[in-house]
Amino acid sequence: MNSDAPSSFASALSPATDPEPSTAPALLAEIDQSCRAPVLALFGCGLVWLLAGTVLAELASLKMHWPDFLADTDWLTFGRVRPAHLNAMVFGFASECAIGIALWLMCRLCRTPLRFAWIILIAGVFWNLGVLVGIGGILAGDSTGIEWLEIPAYASPILFFSYALVGVWAVITFRFRREPRLYVSQWYILAALLWFPWLYSAAQILLILQPVRGTVQAAVNWWFAHNVLGLWFTPIGLAAIYYFIPKVIGRPIHSYYLSMLGFWSLALFYNWNGMHHLVGGPMPAWLVTVSIVASVMMTIPVVTVAINHHLTMVGHFHKMKFSPTLRFIVFGGMSYTVASLQGVYSALRSVSEVTHFTHHTIAHAHVGMYAFFTMVVFGCIYYIAPRLTQREWPSASLIHVHFWGTAGGILLYVGLLSFGGVLQGLAMNNPNIPFLQIVALTRPYLIIRTVAGIIIGTGHLAFVINFAWLLARQFEPYRGPVPLILAGTQPVK
Amino acid sequence: MIVWLLFIGSLIVLPGSALLALRWAARTGQLEAFQKGALQIFDEEEPVGQMTDHFPGPDRLRRPKPATTGHGSRGDEKELPS
Repeated sequence: MNSDAPSSFASALSPATDPEPSTAPALLAEIDQSCRAPVLALFGCGLVWLLAGTVLAELASLKMHWPDFLADTDWLTFGRVRPAHLNAMVFGFASECAIGIALWLMCRLCRTPLRFAWIILIAGVFWNLGVLVGIGGILAGDSTGIEWLEIPAYASPILFFSYALVGVWAVITFRFRREPRLYVSQWYILAALLWFPWLYSAAQILLILQPVRGTVQAAVNWWFAHNVLGLWFTPIGLAAIYYFIPKVIGRPIHSYYLSMLGFWSLALFYNWNGMHHLVGGPMPAWLVTVSIVASVMMTIPVVTVAINHHLTMVGHFHKMKFSPTLRFIVFGGMSYTVASLQGVYSALRSVSEVTHFTHHTIAHAHVGMYAFFTMVVFGCIYYIAPRLTQREWPSASLIHVHFWGTAGGILLYVGLLSFGGVLQGLAMNNPNIPFLQIVALTRPYLIIRTVAGIIIGTGHLAFVINFAWLLARQFEPYRGPVPLILAGTQPVK
Repeated sequence: MIVWLLFIGSLIVLPGSALLALRWAARTGQLEAFQKGALQIFDEEEPVGQMTDHFPGPDRLRRPKPATTGHGSRGDEKELPS
């Protein structure tokens, strides 16, 4: 090993001491080449967690209407499978892919290659180790029992160490930017990178390491759980939408002013939203009321973003027929509007009296986490992966199966479960209806949920096969014509 | 005790960091000529007006015809900020 390596490495962490400074914007091919190994590794591992999470989801869904299914195996009981599903999706699939997307976008927008990519690879190894230990712990019965924070205390430091590497590395990449002007996506990504460690560490301290007492636990729990979606996944999802819609259709965003208004209003209002999950609970009334007001104020960033995206797309909707990225991203963007407006009305006391503790809430969570964020992640991977591998996607048919399976499946899931949830809530508010009769009322909706899950799972399987096929293709010499997707931008080896 | 430390820390650190970010943005010209920021993602390699994603395969029918005016186009080139 070169003896100068440590000092060179240290000096290369700052633009002021960088031994090989460069101010010229990097070529897109150079940036993609630098991101290739870490981003593909993050996507690949994320998709393995997607499949694992899908299987766990199906098991949990089956048990809702077939409680005897695998009930004799303790590690496959509902109380373990369901949180294992949630954490596999949130920390295994979604967070890992979000990190890959954020890093690639940051490099592209900063017009600088990813420096010392091996550090991100190490971070990826530790992240997967943390998720594996965490989910193994949940299945073994070590869940903390705190929603969205079920991963046992012994696995969390591994995740935090890994995240610290990623967060610091993204900031260093930002410092080396060769494009002085910031794009709105960079505001969202930098904010998300700051907000996530704050959320995760505060929740870990207040709920796991030195637990607060009484109902404050519920307040902190919902502050964390709601903000993980709103201040971690949402900013990265919106950053991707703001980049990919204009990029794919070749048209600048309709209004940059609106995009910045959307960012700052999200930053101002979202953090207060979590307490609306505690309507009717033993909490100070003012705390819940402030949360409801902030939830209604979220109409501002949501409508702002929706108008901006829609006016950018007007006249270009027909391009969704030709672009897989655009299909998934636009579906995700529309779902963001639906999820957020659904969140606004669900926060109202009069609505919450009916929908709280029902399957309506489960449907709402899936509109946000799946129909919005996951679909955006799929769209991003369809755009990024061919550029990293320098190969076209192997099968258009598998892309169609993926899109129609996931889009159709989630629409079925959300539509019927929302409706069934309202019926369930109305019945629960009627003291003349026996509880077992309400359970029987929800059963058909739960069976359809399982069917919807199978349809979604088919889409996931098609996507993973296509992705694995794409990865395998990059090791073969390319003999075909120049892929249209790369024509005029990058050399094909 | 730790709750108060976190609470007061959050009250100072989070608004403080937002104010610092806003000050930095004002100083570095991020808040000037706002609409130009929308063009930042385009360059010579991937210019405005060029669609950059489509289904795989050599079949040119998988791409829309180049936009001109009329149906399906709003004449992007004319909308660019000067």
